[in-house]
Amino acid sequence: METFIQSLVSGVLTGALYAMIAMGLTVVFGVMRIINMAHGEMVMLGMFGAWWAQKSWGLDPFVSILVWTPAMFALGLAIHRFLLRKIMPGGELNVLLYTAGLSLLIANLALLAFSGDYRTISLPYALRPMRPFGIAVPIPLAIAFGIALALTTALWAFLTRTDTGRAIRATAQNPESAALMGVNVPRIESLTFALGTALAGAAGVLLAPSLYLYPTVGEILSVKCFVIVVLGGLGSIPGAIVGGILLSVVESLGAVYVSVAWKDAIGFVLFLLVLLFRPGGIWGVARA
Amino acid sequence: MKIAATVLAILALLGAPLLTANPFVLHLLILTLWAALLGAAWNLLGGYAGQVSFGHAAYLGVGAYATMILHLRVGWSPWLALLAGGVLAAVFAGPIGWICFRLRGPYFSLATLAVAEITRLVALNWESLTAGPMGLLVTTLPPLTIFGAPVNWESKAPFYYVILALSALVTLTTWHVARSRLGAFLLAVREDLDSAEAAGIDTVRTRVLALVLSAFFVGAAGGFYAIYYRYIDPDAVFTISLSVEMVFVPVVGGIATTWGPIVGAVFLTTIGEVFRDRFQSGHLIFYGFFMMIVIRYLPEGIWGRLSQWWAKRSATAAPRTRRGTANGKSPSPTPSP
Repeated sequence: METFIQSLVSGVLTGALYAMIAMGLTVVFGVMRIINMAHGEMVMLGMFGAWWAQKSWGLDPFVSILVWTPAMFALGLAIHRFLLRKIMPGGELNVLLYTAGLSLLIANLALLAFSGDYRTISLPYALRPMRPFGIAVPIPLAIAFGIALALTTALWAFLTRTDTGRAIRATAQNPESAALMGVNVPRIESLTFALGTALAGAAGVLLAPSLYLYPTVGEILSVKCFVIVVLGGLGSIPGAIVGGILLSVVESLGAVYVSVAWKDAIGFVLFLLVLLFRPGGIWGVARA
Repeated sequence: MKIAATVLAILALLGAPLLTANPFVLHLLILTLWAALLGAAWNLLGGYAGQVSFGHAAYLGVGAYATMILHLRVGWSPWLALLAGGVLAAVFAGPIGWICFRLRGPYFSLATLAVAEITRLVALNWESLTAGPMGLLVTTLPPLTIFGAPVNWESKAPFYYVILALSALVTLTTWHVARSRLGAFLLAVREDLDSAEAAGIDTVRTRVLALVLSAFFVGAAGGFYAIYYRYIDPDAVFTISLSVEMVFVPVVGGIATTWGPIVGAVFLTTIGEVFRDRFQSGHLIFYGFFMMIVIRYLPEGIWGRLSQWWAKRSATAAPRTRRGTANGKSPSPTPSP
């Protein structure tokens, strides 16, 4: 029973971070109808940003997130402005292939810059986990969970309470009608893409102390992220949250009750089962 | 003129190992033909049927492992095992297609990625069959004689002829499919799935057929990889970047064209090889960058643009040119039913 609760807790903690990455992807899909294949690379950049800030400036990742989130936001604006905007009219297939090229480019440039070594970020307070109710909770993961929760709530408030947020949701529902209501659709698209990139980057910074860092880590994160958004329904934010936590909990329980080697496969099998029996995602909103 | 050029090209391809003794040149030719084989195979599904798969490494890996295991454990001849690898990859693709073709567009692409990851994990963890991360190694290939002459496994020539034959076969298949009833069905599926369905086409069956055909060639290419390098492990034959590279070949050359994958393979392999020499993973940096440039400035691909230009030129100089310029004019070839 204790093992069960233990793996459930660590599953939920990591799940919040998965959910953050997936929210970035799903928001961008909702508004722009594109799948950013380079999304995992944005997480990777955040992770390496955290590592680099700690190495050269001695900044704790949970401090340097204040630097990297705006930086990733700016990077997202630049990618949209200088790269994606020109491709968008070419259709979703072209964008898919284009971002796949971008993903290969970024990952291998990072490989060139950082080499393929596995790195870790060690924090002085990470040596011993907290033990509330006898359950071991790694402190960096707990802090990351708290920040992820705060950021998610802030995003939700932004999307539901502010005019810009409502404009984003309106564009996601119907770009033409939104434009007729006076929404500046190109600006909203640019903003949304930057927001998605910033979410991915921030999640990367938060994950950095809990995962191994290597330049091609974005690949597996992208794939997990795709599984999550299809589970939750592409474009749905609650779906991304539920999907992220679900995938992470399944992986975590699978590692304990099935085997560590197979834990990644369990998520994918779940994914295929959902595709088979509920092709619209668990919420049934996907246009399958 | 055109016939003479074709005959000359065929002779040059057949005679290449006699013309050059340089193993690096031959190696480059083999790599190019291998990339062309993969690209053309992907193109059958991704180009003609418009079903963009990002998981074709699954079939490559299954083909490679099947070839290796049939050769090492069952003792089949490597070339027979290679063909069996293709067949097994095709058989494997059937049910996967049946599941994944419930999804459309980007959803399908994402599902194929997941399938490739599952197969990679299975290969990694099913150690009794695949030796897991250690990989499979074959040190010596069994002696073989063709028309009384023993095959020299240390030379690259026999590998060259095998990959040449496979690439020729996939090109012929593509050429034939583009002009067949199946080609017309695939085109209908690509342009509008619902209309195709309404017109009475069994779209799932059509797409599965294209996938199975595509998987056969990719599986055979995987088998070739295993025999050529004599070593495979899950990270060599199941990686996502391999799936993605496979997509780049036809996109760069000209998607949904017969000759595009060959042109794309020549470009990517030769220039990629130059960059690979300069710095670590330079060829992948180049692939990614080149892909972005092509999509931005040349979305119909190199061959696609060339054949359009050629068609326009011969249209203006109409009386002098003979009928038929390029096969499978892009970007929308119109196969006759």
